[in-house]
Amino acid sequence: MSARDRILAAIRAARPAPLPPAEAIAAEAAALLDAPESVRPWPVEAVLAAEFVRKASALGTSFDHLPDRAAIPLAVKRYLDTHGLPPALALQPAPALAALDWTDIDTHDAVAPDQTAALGLALWGIAETGSLVIHSGADAPILLSFLPLHHIVVLEERSLLPHLEDYAAAMQGAAQPRNAILITGPSGTTDIEGSYVRGAHGPGFLHVLMIGG
Amino acid sequence: MNAPQQGFKERADAELKNAVLKIAIDRTTGNAERKRAVAVAAFPEFQAARARGRAIKDHVIAHLDHYLEMFERNATAAGAQVHWAADDAEARAIITRICLEADAKLVTRAKSMLGEEIGLPHALADAGIERVETDLAEHIIQLAGERPSHIVWPAMHRTREQVAILFKEAHHPPPAADDPATMVQSARRELRAKFLGADVGISGANFLVADTGATCTVTNEGNAELTTTPPRIHIVTAGIEKLVPSTAHAFALLRLLVRSATGGEMTQYTTFHCGPKRPGDADGPEEMHIVLVDNGRTRMLADEFRPMLRCIRCGACMNHCVVYRQIGGHAYGGTYPGPMGAVLTPVLDGLAQSRDLPHACTMNGRCAEVCPVEIPLPTLLRAWRTRSWRERLEPRSVRAALGLWAMAARRPWLYRLGSRIGVRALRLFGRRGWIGSLPLAGGWTAYRDLPRPSGRTFMEQYRAGQAGRAGQTGREARK
Ligand code: SF4
Repeated sequence: MSARDRILAAIRAARPAPLPPAEAIAAEAAALLDAPESVRPWPVEAVLAAEFVRKASALGTSFDHLPDRAAIPLAVKRYLDTHGLPPALALQPAPALAALDWTDIDTHDAVAPDQTAALGLALWGIAETGSLVIHSGADAPILLSFLPLHHIVVLEERSLLPHLEDYAAAMQGAAQPRNAILITGPSGTTDIEGSYVRGAHGPGFLHVLMIGG
Repeated sequence: MNAPQQGFKERADAELKNAVLKIAIDRTTGNAERKRAVAVAAFPEFQAARARGRAIKDHVIAHLDHYLEMFERNATAAGAQVHWAADDAEARAIITRICLEADAKLVTRAKSMLGEEIGLPHALADAGIERVETDLAEHIIQLAGERPSHIVWPAMHRTREQVAILFKEAHHPPPAADDPATMVQSARRELRAKFLGADVGISGANFLVADTGATCTVTNEGNAELTTTPPRIHIVTAGIEKLVPSTAHAFALLRLLVRSATGGEMTQYTTFHCGPKRPGDADGPEEMHIVLVDNGRTRMLADEFRPMLRCIRCGACMNHCVVYRQIGGHAYGGTYPGPMGAVLTPVLDGLAQSRDLPHACTMNGRCAEVCPVEIPLPTLLRAWRTRSWRERLEPRSVRAALGLWAMAARRPWLYRLGSRIGVRALRLFGRRGWIGSLPLAGGWTAYRDLPRPSGRTFMEQYRAGQAGRAGQTGREARK
């Protein structure tokens, strides 16, 4: 008997009654998600964007509010200048970003192992936790969000979601990407004597360019 | 695999004398305890969420075969290869085979307690494969040649000065100073090349999502994604109890896990891995393997330790445990320390090897109070004690003493006589209310004082009290 069969047989042997039909199990599982407001935190801010900024800022994420996408290159330049960084940027190879006017910044779509700064797009923001959601894909390399020291992320205000479950609902029926990542603040560690240090392996700085509103 | 080398008592004894360790443990567990309290206070729905979390885990445990098959179907459809291992030896064999077939020279690993449980570090070394731990704490204990002492902060027993010595020897160039920030930077620099040069990346899983076939890891450092993305092969090792029906159920448990573990609300990186690189994807591994490990879990399903399968490995029980806070994690001798370890180690290593663990508990119940999935840890520890007695694993002195007690307990006159003598004799050892040392009980009194008894037994005092009250009532009645 294979390990698989042995394990499944042991599980079945431990259950007194036969397994209920799949629909009954699914109904029980769905009921465990009922009344989500009774088992999750309530927002403090009435406006979604304000709540998102409140949560993400508390974790060390910085913000710049922009009227539209055309303002992105200038905002990036401003950020690099403020931090005394060279005008170089790894750019997520997405058409929406490539279409912008990058005359003042040297952009490339390969991420170097010691990349200083990179710019990418978030698909959603989750107000409850201040998280940004990214998915892997043809125009979305995962390393772009992990190798650089400064990670700059574009987030449309209209793609904000109130709660974690709303992201799960948005993905309901959609194809699950290879990687779906919720990024919540810059990378950090408390592994040496419990003292908090930013930039453990991932980015030490997370900067959000919030578009619209 | 995890059988302790010396006895628990010898290890605990050595750790109790280690003053540096005591400071390090207090710092981390004290911090964790405070932060958790703040996070729970800020989330009034916590108790309701906890009951829900428990119900989700119970639902999965009751239908484990259903969810395992669903997960296998969906993970396979996403292109992952699912393997099943009945025990640690099978799991090690599967993983080393995958590594050797891929001709892997360098393996990066993101922290996973299951990997420790199945003895993966040794298996890779035996196969001649270089293993690099990428979690900062795991990196520290790999350099020190140690095992984790905590399931969330594996290197919490090491001070900054000790870490500096390890890094100065191992890092090229060595860190310029020994403050935590400089040393973290040094590790970042040192490990970067390893991430990008690895042939295989191995991670654990906090959740296995049945309806998508994704595995979920949560980390704060970002090392998991750097471990799983660049290599050609990604291997996930996970216990079969890690299943959840859907992503939304994972989120419900995540709210409990993060608050209970670190006092945060969300880990920095919460990542769902679903199959290998897709056609056209910019990066990602070409193969993804998932090893589902039983290793005693189906045995627990059938006995009184079943509630332990709810454990989400948050570490809150050890942070709040008076025994753990005295002796630290290494004294437990197994992969898992603290109250949850005292329940799990006998499952993994056998009760005969580890019968001391369920006994090293004060039954104060703090662990069960903070456990985010309501595991009745003291009850389970008591169940091990009972079993240890039934299987006649107790040492002769304990059995003899308890036998004597049982004989006296059945003869009230003898019991009363014995306790009267005992309680008066004990007073001879204590001054100013506390007993600092006691013949035959040095093991108990070296680190604790016993309150000096009052000189009369509880029953004597109770009777005197009753008589007094009866007299009083009588007087009142006469008024
Ligand atoms: S037993 Fe409970 S408190 Fe302890 S690690 Fe498991 S889930 Fe956390």
